[in-house]
Amino acid sequence: MNIAVCVKPVPEPRHYDKIIINPATKLLERKGIPMIINPVDKNAIEAALQLKEQFGGKVVLVSMAPPDTRETIKEGLAMGADEAYLLSDRAFAGADTLATARVLAAGLTKIGGLDLILTGSASADGGTNHIPSQLGELMGFAHLNHLTELHLEASTIKMKTKIENGYVEYEGSLPLVLGVARELNTPRYTTLMGVVIAQNKPFTTWGLKDLGLDPSNTGLSGSPTQPGDLHMPQHGQKAQMFAGEPEDMAGKIIAILRTAGVLD
Amino acid sequence: MEQQPGAVWVVVEQNGGILAEVTLELLGKARDLAALGGGAHASAVLLGSKIESLAEELIAHGADQVILMDAPRLTLYQNDTYALVLAELVKKHRPEIVLFGASYYGSELSATVAAKLETGLAAHCLDLYINDRGEFVQVVPAFGGMILGDILCPTARPQLASVKPGMFQKPDRDTTRSGETLIETPTVLEGYASPLKAVRVVQSQPAGLPLEKAATVVAGGWGVGQEAWHFLDQLAGELSGAVGCTRPALDEGWAAGEHAMIGTSGKTVRPQVYIGFGVSGATHHMAGMKDSGVIININKDPAATVFQVSDYGVVADAKELLPVLLEKIREYKGKSKSQATIKCIQ
Amino acid sequence: MLKLSEQQELLRKVVRDFVENELAPIAQKIHEEDTCPVELFQKMGQLGFNGVFVPAKYGGTGLGFTEQAIILEEIGRHSAGFAATLVAHYMGVFAILNWGSEEQKEKYLPLLCSGAFGGFSITEPGGGSDFAGLQATGKLDDGEWVLNGRKCFITNSHCMGVNVMNVNTGVDAKGRPQISVFIIEGSAPGHTPGRKEKKAGLRGSYTGEVILNNVRLPQSNLLGQPGDGAKISLGTLGVMGRGGTAATSLGILRACLEESVKFAKERVIYGRPLSKLPNIQFLIAQNRTDYEAARLLTYNAMGMKDAGLPNTAEISMAKFFAAEAAVNAAKRTMDLMGGYGLVTDYPVSRYLLDAMGTIPCCGTSHIMQVIIAGEELRK
Repeated sequence: MNIAVCVKPVPEPRHYDKIIINPATKLLERKGIPMIINPVDKNAIEAALQLKEQFGGKVVLVSMAPPDTRETIKEGLAMGADEAYLLSDRAFAGADTLATARVLAAGLTKIGGLDLILTGSASADGGTNHIPSQLGELMGFAHLNHLTELHLEASTIKMKTKIENGYVEYEGSLPLVLGVARELNTPRYTTLMGVVIAQNKPFTTWGLKDLGLDPSNTGLSGSPTQPGDLHMPQHGQKAQMFAGEPEDMAGKIIAILRTAGVLD
Repeated sequence: MEQQPGAVWVVVEQNGGILAEVTLELLGKARDLAALGGGAHASAVLLGSKIESLAEELIAHGADQVILMDAPRLTLYQNDTYALVLAELVKKHRPEIVLFGASYYGSELSATVAAKLETGLAAHCLDLYINDRGEFVQVVPAFGGMILGDILCPTARPQLASVKPGMFQKPDRDTTRSGETLIETPTVLEGYASPLKAVRVVQSQPAGLPLEKAATVVAGGWGVGQEAWHFLDQLAGELSGAVGCTRPALDEGWAAGEHAMIGTSGKTVRPQVYIGFGVSGATHHMAGMKDSGVIININKDPAATVFQVSDYGVVADAKELLPVLLEKIREYKGKSKSQATIKCIQ
Repeated sequence: MLKLSEQQELLRKVVRDFVENELAPIAQKIHEEDTCPVELFQKMGQLGFNGVFVPAKYGGTGLGFTEQAIILEEIGRHSAGFAATLVAHYMGVFAILNWGSEEQKEKYLPLLCSGAFGGFSITEPGGGSDFAGLQATGKLDDGEWVLNGRKCFITNSHCMGVNVMNVNTGVDAKGRPQISVFIIEGSAPGHTPGRKEKKAGLRGSYTGEVILNNVRLPQSNLLGQPGDGAKISLGTLGVMGRGGTAATSLGILRACLEESVKFAKERVIYGRPLSKLPNIQFLIAQNRTDYEAARLLTYNAMGMKDAGLPNTAEISMAKFFAAEAAVNAAKRTMDLMGGYGLVTDYPVSRYLLDAMGTIPCCGTSHIMQVIIAGEELRK
């Protein structure tokens, strides 16, 4: 079984409180924040590796990202994936999810022979949840997002997806595009030998021309949505302040609760 | 000849004949947007099986028109069948804007439809408005809610957006409103064999009053600490409310679970009263509670950021104040002999 | 400019991922309970940490001493106590790898790479660095060695899988004490743990006595030749012990730097974060500079070892500087945090105790200075 896992290099989420908007340029500043593979994409890699262990075949990683993310993507090879494809071109910059899905679909089609395409349900930075569904549509594959269980039997695939306070059971067959939720599995730790072996695994970079794409369909110019201004969440009103002994403060609060109508 | 703008659509989410809160919230917003020139009128798109009775309810909550597609094939939501019929409806009626609730279903369906139509989609919007240039602005969170970004969709139509539950006020139910119901049939599904089959849906209601529905939210942050955390539960009990928390309190394991977390990556609440204890005021928490009716915060640091979004600020150590307040409230209630009842937002 | 390779950077990322998920959450707990997380060590074996510099044919990862230092820095960042476990383990592994016969390497290294704890035993109640004065004995009896004695301050004493043991096996031709080295499996009859020390710092590792009571070993358990003790022990202590301890201290330095920055940014005094105050900035600059200096010394020394260059002075300097700098940085960070520094909700008091603990490991700062001066004066 040949499986592709779409991965996205993202700034490490634990440092998101350090991200600021430069007041002069209005651009994001995220200097010094290390890049990692989007955490839930590692669950997708784990799922792919487990299927490979069960059914054989190979696992390829596909990512649309700038060229300097090569080392980040290599971690997926160190985890156990067999090959990596980095889809990288200036013409891909500024893509929204649809333009990203077009590039990924072109790369996946060029790789060819894929039975299953997995990816994380959402990225930690953009967090849209769009890619699994949009990729599925553009590839012409059936697709599901927020996958929490996956059982491959003879020709039927049984799956569960997450919904508010519950789940839905699905049945389907290959080929599929699946967006993996964190609940699906626990990604394995990378072994040090994996790090060593990863250095010699095939790593291919394809640009716009390799994928035969029209620049008007990629990047910012190929994106139906366009980014406007950025903001930090804003607040600013003046509170009426009280300070004093706990008994007096409790009295004040009770009065406010009564006025607000939540304490009879 | 200048083309008339299309309508503002709300794709209805219903579960077993019960309308999702977010759908009602979006109907109010759709009407506002239509009034501001975002579209001709507000339409609710109702897909499912044996759900025609919901049309009236949608009109009562602000829909000018209900586009109803009632078919056995649509009994259970599936992204393929729902997206096929929606894309067909869009091509036929040409709406200007299509709004979805950013639930699991809604975010998947919106992405699928956007790809089918190759149009723009903004995800998990926190706000929607028409700017002074007449453009539809969609405010989306990024980096876990630390940053907000405006999204525009200059040329592609319709403009799709999924919206986080709790961002907009649900309109009052007005049974005197009238609106038309347009019956559509899913001809596009004739002869279509679905590659996927939704076998069954399993849902359980979480115990207790859901945070989003509580009239009073008692929120705890870092300043409460493990020892005093139980006072929050007791206080919420006395006020017939629910307990929410900040990210650090969740990480420390003091709070009940992820469903209690308030913020851009958690729940957005807009109760009648929010009363926060030991909450410092991290931006992502405040984004999840700033639209509450009355905001009271208790923090021992007079310069705590949270006071900036508060109506009332009490400078006190939450750990010390909590037991005193609880006792005083019990004393007060004993006098007024009121009965504890569960209160929901009306 | 000292620059690690891309492979080394990826290795660091992989190690950090494991350490932050598995060790960081229990670091304070293992310190308080003074227990060694045995299962964690075994998991590390499965991931290749425990035999990082051992060739693949013996079950290792086949990398070098720089990688070993990266692992110890990352572990030391969260628990220098647990890093001490790994340093002692690496010493046992290093001795067998360097002086073992092919049979010994094939027998013991795969075990040690995959989860068995290694150890290296020299010190006795009678004295620390008095190598020639060792009292534990090994005597030949009917073609077998019989070992007796008592070792103390032995790290991994209570979880030992394979112990590399120094004992007195008589006198050499010149009448000087002959120290020989034996490989003893932890389960060997007569090889038992004694008293477990209650340490102030470097908790999270077992350190205690090892008792030898008529431990009978075949000739094949002798490491090297009779009398190789000085060579093996000084070699092991010099490279593995001191290099490993330098890397552990480096981890403490980074912990101090990161905690001081975090606290200074978060703590608001008179409406401004501490980090805005110049005197606080001085402390952070000192922490940063100490970390950088120790980092350069440590990785440079490890790089020299990997390149096969003489490194005695460089490793001693790295150990001397990093351990002392870690103590200073931990104290400085406690100063910066005021009363909070003393509260065990914050880890910095642990860093101070751990940093103090790295000074006696594998030779105190005085011994390091004797070695450094000796190398310098010999020129």
